[in-house]
Amino acid sequence: MYALALIRTFQAGLKSLRLHKLRSGLTMLGMIIGVGAVIALVAIGEGASHDAQEEIRALGAKNVIIRSIKPPSMREQMHGDWESFFRRWMAFYGLKRTDATRIKDTVPGVSRVLPMLTKRMNAVHDRREVGCQLIGTFPYYPEFTQAEMVAGHFLNTAEENTKASACVISLSLAERLFAGHNPLAEEIVVRGYESEQVFQVKGILRERADIEKLPQLPGSMGQTIAANVYIPLSTFKSLYGERNVDRSVGNLVLEAVELSEIRVEFDTVEDVLPALPLIDEALKAGRDERDFEIVVPIQEMVALRNQKARDTRMLLYIACISLLVGGIGIMNIMLATVTERTQEIGVRRALGATRLNITVQFLVETLLLCLVGGAIGVSGGWAFAEFREFLTGDSTIVKAWSVIMAFGLSVLIGLVFGLYPARRAAHLDPIEALRHA
Amino acid sequence: MADRNIIEIRNLTKIYDLGAIQVPALKGLNFEIEEGSYTAIMGPSGSGKSTLLNILGCLDRPTAGAYILGNDDVAHMSDKELSGVRGARIGFIFQSYNLIQQLNVIENIHVPLFYQGKDISDYYDHCEKLAQKVGLGDRLDHRPMELSGGQQQRVAVARSLVNEPLMLLADEPTGNLDSTTEQEILDILDELHAEGRTLLVVTHDDAVAERASRVIHLKDGQVDKDIRKQDSDRKSENQFQEA
Repeated sequence: MYALALIRTFQAGLKSLRLHKLRSGLTMLGMIIGVGAVIALVAIGEGASHDAQEEIRALGAKNVIIRSIKPPSMREQMHGDWESFFRRWMAFYGLKRTDATRIKDTVPGVSRVLPMLTKRMNAVHDRREVGCQLIGTFPYYPEFTQAEMVAGHFLNTAEENTKASACVISLSLAERLFAGHNPLAEEIVVRGYESEQVFQVKGILRERADIEKLPQLPGSMGQTIAANVYIPLSTFKSLYGERNVDRSVGNLVLEAVELSEIRVEFDTVEDVLPALPLIDEALKAGRDERDFEIVVPIQEMVALRNQKARDTRMLLYIACISLLVGGIGIMNIMLATVTERTQEIGVRRALGATRLNITVQFLVETLLLCLVGGAIGVSGGWAFAEFREFLTGDSTIVKAWSVIMAFGLSVLIGLVFGLYPARRAAHLDPIEALRHA
Repeated sequence: MADRNIIEIRNLTKIYDLGAIQVPALKGLNFEIEEGSYTAIMGPSGSGKSTLLNILGCLDRPTAGAYILGNDDVAHMSDKELSGVRGARIGFIFQSYNLIQQLNVIENIHVPLFYQGKDISDYYDHCEKLAQKVGLGDRLDHRPMELSGGQQQRVAVARSLVNEPLMLLADEPTGNLDSTTEQEILDILDELHAEGRTLLVVTHDDAVAERASRVIHLKDGQVDKDIRKQDSDRKSENQFQEA
């Protein structure tokens, strides 16, 4: 019986709100904007963080990436003396193969180490020539980077052992170099400053896209350039020497890097963080300058997660403020409504309504304003998020908790800000209220 | 008519406490209202008429004395209990009709039942019959705005009957109406009286008081005159039959 009475009260509430459509709409506007903003912003934030986490996961949560960087002394301006000139012009720095073996031998929990050599070259096929990155690496490279084969196979152990002139090219290079026809078993020429080598294409590799979109990660030495040619590490060494001398034409810079990158894979994610000081220790041996950097995807992930939590909290604060403002607006209108309907309140009291009846009646009206506003806000925010995903292609994720929270907050706001006007209505003196014109 | 008393007023006193001064509005009233009677309460302004109306309507509580409505002393009931008494035992008819604007005729008639916990779906026929009784059977879904003053007051009369009250309490029921419509409403009241309902009308209009079988005159918070007209009872019935 009470349930039915409550339903009737809701119906009556809807009726009085419909009586003043414009006013009800304007009153709900604050709520609609507040709730819509929460839904849309949370969805966009979740989507962005989802994308970023996917990208970091692509680098491998169990991995640590060590990259060669120019040490500070070589980045200095030339001082006019021969030593500084020489250090800049003929720069020898970076990771060595011994570093890779030392890490493998001394750091516990390391399952595999993937050394990588890179060189800036041009790939030529037919009359097309495309700037590319030549990468010498081991057969298990795709597993490390979650890259997948589109066609053919990746370099295998046999090719590694025989120093074969085999290569795997990235999908985007294949598209640019072969323009539609099948590159498998075709030959490409890799042309450098003073060399020209022929490789047979064994496979096409699709790398994890968008890695360069990560602003937290410094540009890696080659993987971000989508035009990649992968060859066996042994082939690379025998063709281009022990020291990978990278000459950039026109720059008059002669740099020598033995390994441009070492990727370290651990057995489990838990092994990664405790091992970081040990990796540092292993690399420090035999160095007087820090000519490497360590990128830890799992750390980036944790940092990103923390940042996301901060961002979400911020959004919630903003949302709470806008809902508060919306709630005050609603309370203001409800107070005006109570004044406007004083006589009706008096009549209802005379006809047997208790104070509780009146309180419930006005509380329900406020609640309805908030709920309807909340519902419009949720659908509006949702639609906005979907529309943005459609426009920009960035994923947006409407979280169930944000919908529940937005609704919960609407109800809470309705109850809190509806209670005062409702109680004021209920405590009007029926005699005075009846006399009110 | 039966002799059972619907209302017994004993030494009813109301003093308004204005802080610095205390204003006595009712100074110990005593009277009874019998079941089925038609009583008019008259008096000049300041006589305590409105105060008495509010107390009789259970909208206000007396400072002292007893007010027995039905079988209960309602003089010192709580606000919630008084709400229940108003809803169940009293049918209000106001000067300015006081219909609820957003509700249609049938919904307005139903309002007192809602506060008795009775759902409109179970009482629709009952409300419809009352609307027909006051001659508005063809305007069930009209809003008050769409009705004339006389029609609105008819709705109010139907509403006052919906919960089968012990008495109808009318406050200047024709105060806002022109003389033709006034006659219509007074005829309806006569009809209700003839049905055996108890009517209590507060008015300063002699034309209204003329219809009643008893007129209580108030003056300075006391009963000045209490006139029972044996023949006016018949007269009003005759008028109704002529109408």
